Amino acid sequence: MSAIITCPVCGPRNIYEFRFGGENRGPRPFDIRATPEQWYAYVHLRTNAAGPQQEWWYHRDGCGTWFTVWRDVTCDREVAAGEVRK
Amino acid sequence: MTGRLPGATLRIDPNEAVAFTYRGRSLRGVAGDTLASALFANGVRIFSRSFKYHRPRGLYSLDGQSSTCLMAVDDVANVKAEITPLREGMAVAPQNVLGSPEHDLLAVTGWFGWAMPPGFYYRLFHKPWRLWPLFAGLLRRGAGLGKLNQEPPAGDFENQFLNCDVCVVGGGPAGMRAALAAAEFDLRVVLLETRPHLGGFYDWRVAPSPWGEPFYDRGRSLAGKVSRHDAIRVFPMAHLTAIFPGNLLTAVQTGRPDDGFRERYLEIRARSAVVATGCVDRPLLFENNDRPGVMLCNCAHRLARTYGLLPGKRAVFSVGNDLMLEAADDLAEMGLEIAAVADARTGGQDRRLVQRLEDRGISFLRGWLAADVRGRRDVRRVRLTRRDGRRSRWFEADLLVASADRAPAADPLLMTTARFERDRHTGFMLPVELPPGLHAAGRLLAWEEPHAIEDSGRLAGLRAAAECGAASSRDAERLSDDLRGRAASRPGQMVSRAPGRGHRSFVCFDEDVSVADIHRVAAEGFDNVELCKRYSTAGMGPSQGGMPGHNLPLVMAECRAEAVGSLPPSRVRSPLRPTLLATLAGKHYDVIKQTPLRRVQEKLGGVFVRAGQWERVQHFGHDAGAGDEIAAVHAGVGLMDVSTLGKFRIAGPDALALLQRVYVSDLDGLEREQLKYSAMCNEDGCLIDDGLITRTGESDYYFTTTSARAAQTVEWLRYHSRFEDWDFHIVNLTDAWGAVSLAGPAAHRVLANALEKRSSHVPPLRGYRETRLPSGIPVKILQVGFVADQGYEIHAPASAMTDVWDALWEAGRPLGIRAFGLEAQNVLRLERGHLIIGEDTESRTNLLDLGLGFLWDRDKRGFKTVGVPALRHTENQPGRMKLIGFKMKDPASTPPGGSIVVDTEVRGHVTSSRYSRALKQSIGLALVEEPLAAPGSPLEIFVGGPDRRRLGAVVHRGPFY
Repeated sequence: MSAIITCPVCGPRNIYEFRFGGENRGPRPFDIRATPEQWYAYVHLRTNAAGPQQEWWYHRDGCGTWFTVWRDVTCDREVAAGEVRK
Repeated sequence: MTGRLPGATLRIDPNEAVAFTYRGRSLRGVAGDTLASALFANGVRIFSRSFKYHRPRGLYSLDGQSSTCLMAVDDVANVKAEITPLREGMAVAPQNVLGSPEHDLLAVTGWFGWAMPPGFYYRLFHKPWRLWPLFAGLLRRGAGLGKLNQEPPAGDFENQFLNCDVCVVGGGPAGMRAALAAAEFDLRVVLLETRPHLGGFYDWRVAPSPWGEPFYDRGRSLAGKVSRHDAIRVFPMAHLTAIFPGNLLTAVQTGRPDDGFRERYLEIRARSAVVATGCVDRPLLFENNDRPGVMLCNCAHRLARTYGLLPGKRAVFSVGNDLMLEAADDLAEMGLEIAAVADARTGGQDRRLVQRLEDRGISFLRGWLAADVRGRRDVRRVRLTRRDGRRSRWFEADLLVASADRAPAADPLLMTTARFERDRHTGFMLPVELPPGLHAAGRLLAWEEPHAIEDSGRLAGLRAAAECGAASSRDAERLSDDLRGRAASRPGQMVSRAPGRGHRSFVCFDEDVSVADIHRVAAEGFDNVELCKRYSTAGMGPSQGGMPGHNLPLVMAECRAEAVGSLPPSRVRSPLRPTLLATLAGKHYDVIKQTPLRRVQEKLGGVFVRAGQWERVQHFGHDAGAGDEIAAVHAGVGLMDVSTLGKFRIAGPDALALLQRVYVSDLDGLEREQLKYSAMCNEDGCLIDDGLITRTGESDYYFTTTSARAAQTVEWLRYHSRFEDWDFHIVNLTDAWGAVSLAGPAAHRVLANALEKRSSHVPPLRGYRETRLPSGIPVKILQVGFVADQGYEIHAPASAMTDVWDALWEAGRPLGIRAFGLEAQNVLRLERGHLIIGEDTESRTNLLDLGLGFLWDRDKRGFKTVGVPALRHTENQPGRMKLIGFKMKDPASTPPGGSIVVDTEVRGHVTSSRYSRALKQSIGLALVEEPLAAPGSPLEIFVGGPDRRRLGAVVHRGPFY
């Protein structure tokens, strides 16, 4: 675990200080008519993309903010959102 | 101390003796010695026996490049003698021998080498499988390294976490110049050097440098500049263990005798890093190339110039570059008799160096190399042969100094994503593309001429500085253009051995893998370097691929009849050096939290246990069953410290919306001074937390969580509102406020007495009050029923908790108040049928399975409550586990927690159980399959252990007491 995560409040910090919150899947859907399969897919299935993904991080040992960053999971490096769209 | 040669390059103090013992004998070294140099000075030539064939092995590299120097030091196994500084009083012993290294009874295994090809144990001993444990035991005893000491190692171990702008790996000329260049721009520099001193390959050379002064002088003046520079922190004896993405470098530093630590783990976060690890000697392969008395050229030269020890009496040299010719000349100057110098190159030598050797009367053999060594435990005779093997000559000698050539020490880069290519000119694999923030410099890039080595170091330093924001790019570009025009290095010498089958030419000393073994493995189809490494285990020993890494691809190319140098080296992984677990653990700072009532409870005889980060009282006095504590709560009143409970205030216009999202109950109608018990679920509907909520103002709420959840509650609430534009503030009061639980039939009277004239402020059932004790302490009082019908939690600022405790104690004294702990609480709550989250629940049990479905307000709309979709889906799902209470048929037998519930197969398990003295009955909670959960159902509980049996029980609904 060697990555640096850039907190919007505290700046770049060691990854130890953060808690991983999973890939960003957008606002939580809430439809009480959703089938168990649909709900299961939302709660437990992940894209698991090899490359950049937008993900949630919580600055646990810092300011206590949830925020998103783009990280290339193949090299454990933050990337700018602009770079991702290319 | 006698026996040491004088010289300006020495790194020892011959006048300061250091006593140590080897195999119980008292020996003496001098200050500055390594263990290896001290043993060598005392005439010890056989350091160890090899892993598989128990061949004698001696001093070989001085840098710990192979396992030949592994010894047991002060009962710690596998210590590398070559890189361990000598300390006063060290007790040193050989390992992996039966008898002594000189007369090892296990050496007979060497006679049967023909029967033990690589991987033989996989093929021979797998049938019959029942005998494998026997074979394994025998093999492990014979093919062992050291004996593991089960005790924690003595000495201090440290961790250091450093931040810097530029981290330079390697304190040779290039590394020092890189550090100085970056430091010119006021950047913070960390310099790691494996050896005890800076200077790299300048340090022991007396030959004149291009600047006029001898090399060692040049090295020492550079080292002085580096050491004096405020911006540079030097870590000597620090071995790099890994480079991770994002420039996180880890290293292990060995403590010198006057350092306050034995080993230190360094973790360095650098904005930019420079690797300047230089070159090592690539071993030459020949028959019996592992005999004590055979050593690398660099080793022989440093032994004389750094430690003042002549490596032998009469030597033969077999070398491959000019630096080694210089070493031969210098050693001859120091008094070493040299019978012959063979140079594997057919031409291209520095003429002056050859001339000097010939002037000394030493026969110089161009295009020749060592082919064989004779002597059982040492070197007696050496055979040199022409490259084509057609002509040979024998020489009497006790020392063979042999190196094929230099080889770039690229291990740190081989573990990164750097791309390597074969350099056509030198034949070396060189990095051509480095990951961002990483630079290479010096001999590692095949630079050979001293000016070029230093300038390439400076260039890397300037480039690293530019990455840290310094205005050094222009200087860097100018220097880069300048370097491009410099003289190229001379070609590398790629021959690694004379013709022959190579049965006893060892590529890997650690694992006893010979050239013939590699050929056999390749013939079996493992003809790829990575595969061959795994199958033959060459390079998988304690030296982590370092030494065999250079020759293995060359020998493999020979097997495949391909051009020498066509194959890439195998990949390198961390740690580059074996590391003690004690070093990684460091001082192991354990953070323990003590409640504000620690002292009070100590005085009352509290026995403390660890509960998460906290230390809490298990019971008071000697009765681990806490009988009197339980009786007091049943009949009178008890007082317990519950300061570890999570305590939170949440306020703001949207505070209620957020509480509605995370709690399954509807909190909309919650009035002031009214308490609501509720629960939080995760998205699977599983219970994660329960607690009490009250409203203390217009949009102001106070709520509690379990002790275990306190740390994650803020995170949880913010996570579940991250897509909302909600306005709220949440404050974690867990540590700022303490709490006690007052419980028992007399609790109301005690509390009323303590409040004196405010006695009417005792809250009613499920009520909440904020008031003050007569002393003025503000308290929050919550009516709760966890352990008794009548019970109160009294919350107060942590600093006032002792006074709160004392006030309640005084008020309760006439009623026989007693303190109680976790054990009493556990029995009391069990009697009342209450569960503890994490003990009676697991990650699959949802709210409904636990019988807490009544907490869920199904009609609550519009808050997207966490867990509700899953609760709806599982409401009528068959096959779920249910939490039930049970009574034992035999009232006195108590199944231990975790016992399984069985009929013809496993149907569930016991989560908590106790013998209740009040009920004279064993009771408990269990998770069982739904068909077994009906009240009155009989259960069979299996109890393992020496008297395995099945106990009968009956499902019970509701509280037991």
